[in-house]
Amino acid sequence: MTDWGGQRAPLGRNVLRVGLVLVLAFVVLAGGDGYWQVMQAQPLSAAPDNPAIIAAARQVVRGRILDRDGKVLASNAIDAAGQTYRVYADPSLSGVLGYASLLYGTAGLERAFDAQLTGIRSADPVADMLRKFQASPYDPSDLTLSLSLPLQERATALLGKDRGAVVMLDPSTGHILAMASTPTFDASAIADPATAKAAWAALQADPGKPLLDRAVQGLYVPGSVFKIVTALAALGSGAIAPSTTFPQQPAAETNGLIVSGYKVVDGHHPFTDGEALDFVHAVEVSCNIYFALTGLKLGGAGLSAEAEQLGFGAPIPFDLPTAASQITNGGGNIGGGFKDDVELANAAYGQAEVLVTPLQMALVAAAVANGGQLMRPELVTGLTDRSGTVHRIDPQSWRDVVAPDVADTVKAAMEQAVESEWGSYFTPGAKVPGIPTAGKTGTAQLGGSGEPNSWFIGFAPVDQPKVAIAVVVEHGGGGGARAAPMAGQLMTYYLKELAQ
Amino acid sequence: MDGFLLSLWIARLAFLGLLYLFLFAVVRVLLRDLRSAAREPGSELGRLVVVASPEGEPPPGAVFPLDAVTTLGRDVNNTVVIDDAFASAQHAALTFRGRAWYLEDRGSTNGTYVNGSLIEDIAPLGFGDEIQVGRVRLRLERPRS
Amino acid sequence: MSAATARPRSDPFAALRGVKPRPRPRELGLLVLVAVVLVAGSVSLGLYRTHRLDPADGGVVVSYLIALGIGHFAQVLAGRRTDQVLLPAMGLLGGIGLLVMIRLPQELVQQSFGGTTLGLAQAQLAWLVLAIVVASVLAIIVRNDSWLRLYKYTWAAAGIALLLATFVLGRDRNGATLDIHLGPISGQPSELLKVILVVFLAAYLSENRPLLVEQYTRLGPFRLPPLPYLIPMVAMWALALLIVVVQRDLGAALLFFAVFLLLLYVATGRATYVVLGLAAFVVGSFLAYKLFGVVRERVDIWLDPWSVAQGAGYQVVQALYAFGRGGILGTGLGAGLPTIGGNLPIPEVNTDFVFAALGEELGLVGVLAVLGLYLVIVERGLRIAAAAADDFRALLATGLTLVVGVQAFVIAAGNLKLIPLTGITLPFVSYGGSSLLANALVVGLLLALSDRGVEAPPPPRPPGGRLARLVDRGAR
Repeated sequence: MTDWGGQRAPLGRNVLRVGLVLVLAFVVLAGGDGYWQVMQAQPLSAAPDNPAIIAAARQVVRGRILDRDGKVLASNAIDAAGQTYRVYADPSLSGVLGYASLLYGTAGLERAFDAQLTGIRSADPVADMLRKFQASPYDPSDLTLSLSLPLQERATALLGKDRGAVVMLDPSTGHILAMASTPTFDASAIADPATAKAAWAALQADPGKPLLDRAVQGLYVPGSVFKIVTALAALGSGAIAPSTTFPQQPAAETNGLIVSGYKVVDGHHPFTDGEALDFVHAVEVSCNIYFALTGLKLGGAGLSAEAEQLGFGAPIPFDLPTAASQITNGGGNIGGGFKDDVELANAAYGQAEVLVTPLQMALVAAAVANGGQLMRPELVTGLTDRSGTVHRIDPQSWRDVVAPDVADTVKAAMEQAVESEWGSYFTPGAKVPGIPTAGKTGTAQLGGSGEPNSWFIGFAPVDQPKVAIAVVVEHGGGGGARAAPMAGQLMTYYLKELAQ
Repeated sequence: MDGFLLSLWIARLAFLGLLYLFLFAVVRVLLRDLRSAAREPGSELGRLVVVASPEGEPPPGAVFPLDAVTTLGRDVNNTVVIDDAFASAQHAALTFRGRAWYLEDRGSTNGTYVNGSLIEDIAPLGFGDEIQVGRVRLRLERPRS
Repeated sequence: MSAATARPRSDPFAALRGVKPRPRPRELGLLVLVAVVLVAGSVSLGLYRTHRLDPADGGVVVSYLIALGIGHFAQVLAGRRTDQVLLPAMGLLGGIGLLVMIRLPQELVQQSFGGTTLGLAQAQLAWLVLAIVVASVLAIIVRNDSWLRLYKYTWAAAGIALLLATFVLGRDRNGATLDIHLGPISGQPSELLKVILVVFLAAYLSENRPLLVEQYTRLGPFRLPPLPYLIPMVAMWALALLIVVVQRDLGAALLFFAVFLLLLYVATGRATYVVLGLAAFVVGSFLAYKLFGVVRERVDIWLDPWSVAQGAGYQVVQALYAFGRGGILGTGLGAGLPTIGGNLPIPEVNTDFVFAALGEELGLVGVLAVLGLYLVIVERGLRIAAAAADDFRALLATGLTLVVGVQAFVIAAGNLKLIPLTGITLPFVSYGGSSLLANALVVGLLLALSDRGVEAPPPPRPPGGRLARLVDRGAR
């Protein structure tokens, strides 16, 4: 019997299923809402183009920025119209602090910590949530940096009219002590509504690109300072030992080393006189042939893996946006993305397609100085809210990049490169008087006829390093000519006058 | 925290809390409905099954769930349309009064029959009884549980 | 046909004479709660604004509550045994929307009636009162559904006429043709169209449902649905595409097609059709993406709004920022949506992005409550469908419910970047007369359908053709 009335029963079941589908859809909505309102709430609220941030920037007197000793780096002034604007202590800070301008937005730390400086976000997520209950949800924090203003000024002064960068940090904590980039610019002039337009136009027209923070954004050919990376990789993987020599090396000094039909030349240390150099001597005299052979023995994959550990290949996590350093353009077929052995051999001593930021090379020096443990680099060490509560940001270990004994071997070689008779020939002026100093110069050939870029990385004291440094001077000549003496003066100034 | 901020807090949380109080009250109503619906198996009071229908309207075998008042006849406005040449437009009405079913003739030309006998005006009816309207025969059955 | 014909006595006043007031205690209780919630919201907003215990726009809120109360008493007097939850649920959603409109800058809307000009909140209040009237009147007078059931092609024709009118008379808004203007009257026809569409589909599907028993259209090796299903399926698909092409109204197209597919599933119980429909949807979407810039733009914005945060993706990004600012408990009414130079961060915050405003000021907690309210309406609507006396009423109630539920989902998901943003309103909450009135139609019809004591539906018609013979055989 066909039951017409009975057709309703299955229909009811279908209605129920459709209801369940709708319930499921709404559960998905709830999940999506939770994602944005809970999980993504912090980053969304801190986005620089969030209207709350922009509105806060217009209303709120920004928090100050202080150096490690409490010296004021950025503060506020009031113009005739009652509008507050930013004043910066010194142009040498421009690369680090950036600027905060009502007309031109923010840059540098002012941008990265905009949310905290305007008070839309605090260091404490719970306080952040509770703050939503206040009538005025703004609680600007002061930033305390690890930077030392006198050291920053000295570094900038030593760079002088040259373009370049200096990065100094405490290897045991990752705290940045100085981070200079030249040319600098006058951030106060951009922040002051009265002078902003003219200053901005001049800045845009400057061929020296002062807005580029060379310390973290500048990419340079490293030359011989990169040999430290190759050394860490080769010793760490066992490709070479400290006693390793290459029999073909002495002859290649005069005739060149033939790699796949291409000739690697050196010959800048004739006084080694046909001796087959071991590892320490090779670092001391910065032997290109030795490191080319080391690179070939190590292989591209091994070099690439160690470089990645040190931070190459991706932007370094830091309080400021950083450019990614590289050892090759990639895409090649031999290990690590190298095209062929010629590229690998050249990269092993810092030429070919190797490009680094000064911060990256300072971290390489710091890793060696700190016994193979790389600390996360850090500029902001604390936030102080209006009630005076301080939220400290503690140093964090980032990675263990090599075993301590490997680090010690490289450390000893870098010490010889500064302290020994052969070494000091290449690193004049790098030594801190009375304190054992380690380092490595670099002379980055740029092609064409210009002067090479002058590099130095190093640290002191050797036993208990308190400071690691990277210096690059564009077209400064050999590493010994500009960078090494500058590094020596800056480390001396810091260790003798500031560190105590 | 000053008094103003505190009262702002309270007002905001009260609004959100009251929203949920409403939802809670609604859900209680919904649950009570669901429970009472589970207790009543169905709303139909009985069923009318078509036993024979020479002209096919309604089709034999068709089942009509019954409310308290069901009208039968040829007119399309009847609850059960009996499209039979021997049925009147307003032929009969089936009503459930309290506890019993009654069949009422609404002045039809050819009369209404219960179990084969002609009824006068109105007659009580039980489940299983067969009624005839025109040539169409229908059986009153128990509601489905 | 008058309601009286259902009664055994042919007395034209029977319907009226039989009316006995019937108290509705649950509805009354829930409405009292609605009043408490809305007054609390108004106090919260007023406190933030004035720093005093001074409800914001108290007159507007009280007027609205009075209108709800009158709606309730009209139902009581009418004495019908209709649903008692729908009106409070719709009332609370409408009230939350009203609070948002009170909170927003009143200059967003300037509606002129006669000599007076109404601001945003007052205009919304006017529409809400009208919506309550529409819902109540429908709930009281609709006792018979043959005017919907029997004239389905008339309704379909009216819908198509409405659509054509939009094509011809429509005005562009944000690159989509949504509004039509006829003299002083303007509106969004797609809102009305969705109700007409559901009426037509319910009538069409309920009538053709028996044909499902054993019929297929064979196309080579494929067993396709019988033609009566296939034709509307293709027609609906084409209609949705047409709306996308001509009006560039992605929201309406998505809503219509989704409601159609779900309704088709309810009518047939066959997942095959849904799969087929989804396949057609994918093909249609792909074609639309390839052929039409507006679709491509929406999808690209959806995939990465931040790449165009200052351009086409501005609203979407700003909506997400609003959600982020809200967090778990929200900023509180009035404390969100920071203005810059007097401008709100989100344009269209009173219509397409009202969900984002709720997210910011009421937080995750408030949004979950609002979603819960929609689910309450969905539950009631589907219960009414499940208890309906016949297929047409069941499908009609399901379709009406789906229209509200799916529309809320589509716009909320668009705000939350779960799906590409489409410009439709959040039912009962967004500003706008067309939207409020159309959704009031939905609620009014659902209320009428929920009355168990209503006139019984006409008996099922005998199936024609092959199926009749099949039934005959089965009966013997």
